[in-house]
Amino acid sequence: MKYPELETLKLERVGPVGWLINNRPEQLNAMNALMRDEFELAWRALDADPEVRVIVHTGEGRAFQTGVDVAELASDGQGMERYRDSVERWDLHFTAWHNEVWKPVITAVNGICAGGAFHWVADADIVIASSDATFFDPHTSVGQVVAIEAIGLMKRMPVEAVMRMAFVGRYERMTAQRAYELGMISQIVDPPDQLRAEAQALAEKIAKNSPAAMAATKRALWKAVELGLTDACRAGAAELVSMWGHPDQEEGPRAFAEKREPNWKALTPRTGAERRPGG
Amino acid sequence: MSVTYATVRVERDGPVGWLVFDRPDAGNAMNARMFDDLEAAWRELGDDDAVRVIVNTGAGNAFQTGLDVAQLAQDRDALREQSRRTKHFELKFTSRDNDVWKPVIAAVNGVCAGGGLHFVADADIVLMSQTATLVDPHVSVGQATVYETIGLAKKSPMEPVLRLAFTGVHERMSAARAYELGICSQVEPPERLRDAAQKLAETIAQHPAEELATVKRALWNALEGTQRSPAGRSLQGRERE
Repeated sequence: MKYPELETLKLERVGPVGWLINNRPEQLNAMNALMRDEFELAWRALDADPEVRVIVHTGEGRAFQTGVDVAELASDGQGMERYRDSVERWDLHFTAWHNEVWKPVITAVNGICAGGAFHWVADADIVIASSDATFFDPHTSVGQVVAIEAIGLMKRMPVEAVMRMAFVGRYERMTAQRAYELGMISQIVDPPDQLRAEAQALAEKIAKNSPAAMAATKRALWKAVELGLTDACRAGAAELVSMWGHPDQEEGPRAFAEKREPNWKALTPRTGAERRPGG
Repeated sequence: MSVTYATVRVERDGPVGWLVFDRPDAGNAMNARMFDDLEAAWRELGDDDAVRVIVNTGAGNAFQTGLDVAQLAQDRDALREQSRRTKHFELKFTSRDNDVWKPVIAAVNGVCAGGGLHFVADADIVLMSQTATLVDPHVSVGQATVYETIGLAKKSPMEPVLRLAFTGVHERMSAARAYELGICSQVEPPERLRDAAQKLAETIAQHPAEELATVKRALWNALEGTQRSPAGRSLQGRERE
């Protein structure tokens, strides 16, 4: 499948793994307006590619990502105002979660992960990091409020660590080791230059599992973040039952009995109409 | 009064009731008989006032490995009933499913796989043997994993639960990692697990039963909502100077 030509992001597929690579290394992969738009195209392209079973998101250079491109904001007199409307309408499209991508997404943090970069930590399924990765949130140090990313993190990890990052700002960095201890990430890769190889290996492991079962699981678990325990289970019942009668449910046990790799049914790429219910 | 069980053992040791999965040759997997036995066993231990705290563990090498799919495939009625319960989230596996409000300790003595994770997710306190592991094979056999992983994700960091869900049979979580993440609170050598669980249960059993039940209801109820205070404390008027 041919991917769109993008200026700020690289897209490629290696086996069953789709790679989304932040590609503004000179700007520490900060997000300018163009990158913000290109993220939506990138997620859609990888989501639509039936060969892609699992997506890995990482960055070129010494940073994973460092939030919004402050230089661009400061240079044209518009500042953050340019984003007011989309934020107020909650009309965001730069993470997998925003774009309702139901394939498993691994964020592989290759270096500095600062401020807005936490969007892609909070909105990933699995997060791994190189041993030299650092995590900090400078928003309050530059007169900005941090909300969406930090709230996302608080829903998936111990709250104290998130509050500390929010209030200490740029004056402290969290190590990959601490992120691992807290369950923010599940793997530290050392030496750091092995990060992509390890991410590919992890993604290939996951790609051995049923795409439909993983999509149903992902929908149920992300919906659960929005609900209390019992309501989450009741809502998840529909996802659980959606696999009953699915060909993968027969194929899994059969492949196991025959001691071979399962031949899963590929996900059907969604149409635009399915993607955005109600508008 | 006395119930006969085929797939679990119910024992008493002082104020502690033990519910032991007892199909060691089948990894303690749940067959149709175990569905009935579990329901009866939780009722027996729940109704017995002499039992203050309940420990749930497994006989043999495994803790619990989920549904015995092969056996259920041959028992159409049991399968149909189980499907109905699953579809409507009316399971009767765990203490919570069966409305038992005594403290429950899961003593995970070995592998805990797939549907076995219900018993970890629904326990109040979790102990693990050093050799015990958690694994969720659902997506590797074409099934979604929902109730167990939602329960775990509500009690621990979410990322490791998503990793458990998506890696399927291809990865296992060690007891050491489960301890770091707060999924369990104590790891013991295999031969010490039973004594450690009994000791902890006796410590808890010193507290008044009514208080324990009240606390248990309050804390589990807190996982049902998103608000901290019952009315959702308003911060209006305090947001800005």
